[in-house]
Amino acid sequence: MCSTLNPLPLFTLFVMCSFLYSCGNYDEPPLVATNIAIIEPITGKSVSAGYITLINNTHASIELTHVDSPDFESIEIHESTVDNGIAKMRQINSLFIMAGSALNLERGGKHLMLMRHTGSLGTISLNFYSGELLLLSLQTSFTAGTH
Amino acid sequence: MNYKNILISILLGTTVATGIFLAGKVNNSTEALSALIIPKPIELPNFSLLDQANEPVTADTFRGQWDLVFFGFTNCPDICPTTLQTLTTVKHELKKAKSKTLPRIVLVSIDPQRDTPTILGKYVGHFGKNNLAVTGKIDEIIKLTSALGIYFEKTTVDDENYSVNHSAAVLLINPDAELSALFSAPHLLANYVNDLPVIMGDR
Repeated sequence: MCSTLNPLPLFTLFVMCSFLYSCGNYDEPPLVATNIAIIEPITGKSVSAGYITLINNTHASIELTHVDSPDFESIEIHESTVDNGIAKMRQINSLFIMAGSALNLERGGKHLMLMRHTGSLGTISLNFYSGELLLLSLQTSFTAGTH
Repeated sequence: MNYKNILISILLGTTVATGIFLAGKVNNSTEALSALIIPKPIELPNFSLLDQANEPVTADTFRGQWDLVFFGFTNCPDICPTTLQTLTTVKHELKKAKSKTLPRIVLVSIDPQRDTPTILGKYVGHFGKNNLAVTGKIDEIIKLTSALGIYFEKTTVDDENYSVNHSAAVLLINPDAELSALFSAPHLLANYVNDLPVIMGDR
């Protein structure tokens, strides 16, 4: 959760519409995005990280193919690993959220790499293989840093 | 009291005693449980780098206080800020626990091509006022990393967009400017809060 990320300054993002994905006939939303946090881009730096939990309530896997936002020049899906004591990061082409499962994009693991913040923060689009998208409308707030 | 009751009493007593022992061991241990203690501390080599104010950084810069040293780079969006945040929280926790010794946090860049003293200074400033940022010529950085067993390697995409694989360990440098202990990833707050006071002689 965002509160555990203190004291690093964050844009804390509240999902106004946690689900805009086409719903079909489900009792619950087929895909839910929650626990969203984007580290505030540090002054002078062009990269930041985003974290999110995606819950697939359907009986089929869902493939996230790319993420974009008018507020960042580009957003890539990355994975951090520590292999034999060596920290590595690699780009991932797509992510599968397996049927009935949750996928955590979290610190030290799979995450969004956001490049060149343009200054505002409004929406992030999660684009899926099916051609549909999950549009996250974001409300910003600022968590005080340590300095 | 029959034998059954006596046996139950013994078992209960043993369980409670074990619990108390283990609780004491975890919460107020006098032993470092996670850090790798270097039996014969390794002296820092001769090197010449720069801090965020463009002032020289040498082995002597590390004399007189304990330092938690991490090797990373500012274009690292995940592991580096996460590690530095953990170290910042460690200092807060030690302060709350009224530890006599608070280590300084040091980030040594393994990406001097992009990490100028100014950029690195702003970066470490996000994690606290008294942190030390170290960068400089790559040959001088290699003098330091090779002496301390730190690995790093650029993963080339192009000249501007690249990542750097690097050792994830946090090194503890003692006031004699010697490597005295090493914390491996994952960097868990509890490991530092338990081990640092023991190693630094506060417990």
